[in-house]
Amino acid sequence: MKRFLVLTVGLLLLSLGSWIGWKTISRAQNRRLVLTGSSTIAPLAVEIGRRFEALHPGLRVDVQTGGSSRGIADARRGIADIGMASRRLKTSEKELLVHTIARDGICMVLHAGNPVSSLSDSQIVGIYTGKIQNWKEVGGKDAAIFVLNKAEGRGTLEVFLKFFGLENPSIHADAIVGDNEQGIKTIAGNPNAIGYLSIGTAEYDQKHGVPIKLLPSHAVQASTETLAAGTFPISRPLNLVTKGVPSGIAKTFIEFCQAKDVHDLIKAHYFVPATR
Amino acid sequence: MPEPSSIQKSAIRKRGQVGERLATLCVWAVALLVSLVFFWILIDLFLGGVRHLSLSFLFEAPRDAGRAGGIAPILVASLEIVAVCMLVALPIGIGTAVWLAEYAGDRNRLGRLVRRSLDVLASVPSIVFGLFGSAFFCLQLGLGFSILAGGLTLACMVLPIFIRTAEEGFRAVPQAYRLGAASLGISRTSTLFRILIPSALPALSAGFVLGVGRALAETAALIFTSGYVSRMPESLLDSGRAMSVHIYDLAMNVPGGNDNAFATALVLLLLLLLINASFAWISQHHLSHGASQS
Repeated sequence: MKRFLVLTVGLLLLSLGSWIGWKTISRAQNRRLVLTGSSTIAPLAVEIGRRFEALHPGLRVDVQTGGSSRGIADARRGIADIGMASRRLKTSEKELLVHTIARDGICMVLHAGNPVSSLSDSQIVGIYTGKIQNWKEVGGKDAAIFVLNKAEGRGTLEVFLKFFGLENPSIHADAIVGDNEQGIKTIAGNPNAIGYLSIGTAEYDQKHGVPIKLLPSHAVQASTETLAAGTFPISRPLNLVTKGVPSGIAKTFIEFCQAKDVHDLIKAHYFVPATR
Repeated sequence: MPEPSSIQKSAIRKRGQVGERLATLCVWAVALLVSLVFFWILIDLFLGGVRHLSLSFLFEAPRDAGRAGGIAPILVASLEIVAVCMLVALPIGIGTAVWLAEYAGDRNRLGRLVRRSLDVLASVPSIVFGLFGSAFFCLQLGLGFSILAGGLTLACMVLPIFIRTAEEGFRAVPQAYRLGAASLGISRTSTLFRILIPSALPALSAGFVLGVGRALAETAALIFTSGYVSRMPESLLDSGRAMSVHIYDLAMNVPGGNDNAFATALVLLLLLLLINASFAWISQHHLSHGASQS
């Protein structure tokens, strides 16, 4: 009985081991590109990776998350071929090469019928912290301001909070919305509403006749052009980072990410393709 | 609920009916509240997910970052991760439990040390296991982001619960069984395989189900070990996204992913209920079968 048991377990382990070994060898036939980092970029990178795999049979693009800092650390240590970072690099990280593939930006959005045409940063902070309650305080009609905020965990919420130096608990919102489309519908249906939205979506809907108004920031007009040019202030770059000059499939992949072929994917994720 | 006897009734009257009734009410209310929470979650998931659930959802690959398409590769990866986890955890777990219950007595120093460390391990947050797995299995052993690394990390996490449940199962086997077997001259190994393990089977399967449940529901331990890749896994060394990681990503990271997050959560819940029910049935069936044989 004992001998039989030992034999069975031994055989099982042996077959498992050889199977894993065989799989390793067979896996080595597929060339593999590993990306880690920002969870903002990851869903986009997965889609670009899928298109890239279709064009290059036998090649695998593995995308992993963990945040921008992890992407930078992994690229530095060579654990990942390419790191993903949805922020500018710090001075201590400057030895890495940056390849911007897209930009993510938000702008303040009002109903098209609202006479207010611009708001300063401090006015926006006042509105969102509840110190300014009425539109007439910022040069508009005598009507209560309806403040829209984003749900926890949204990328646009992070960008908004960081730019205006706010903490989410200090915001007095009248409504919390999830995705961009929901926010646009709410603003289009309420002349006294204010919200912030991804520029790509807001511009698209405005051009398609939805009654909304995109406010400038620091006198820069909110549009995909100013965002792509990097002049619109409330934005962040979506970067791929590499340790040294990329070569081989990493180089091909980064070039593919920056090519026109993937602009539809970038726009589908509410980002703006970077112009080189 | 059985009716209290007349003696109990008079005792209740003496102590003051109001207080007693109030206590009864509280106990009932709390019990109801617990099941209310469960049904609330169930109904919420069902209402949110059932519209997006279809057969093609189970057999298609995700598209558009998971907003469209199905979860086929994610379902396969989840099951592979759980299979690796339980394949590793079962032999180690049963072995340790047998040693703890049958060989190391209550006063054995090593036994106490093992028990104490298991209890500590059982209360360690899963993200710690995730970081350990990422550092040890992925980097140190060079498995990389892979289903194998994820399954092994989960095995470390599931083992403490499984071992303690199994140990209790072995301890619950009456001492008379062991003495009877010894007096018949049956070897210790045969006693273990013919008497102890079959008798402890309900506890073993309970521990197994608990382990599978914890493994299937795990997000933090898997996001850095088995990873984020939503392609159909080709081998155990491929990275594969688990269902809970997919739900987390859709709900928190992908705008417009809520609908499919609900649908995936519903599939996960149904899968767990299915596993629970089938194990309850198996152990029931085995028990009645064994009873009729002897």
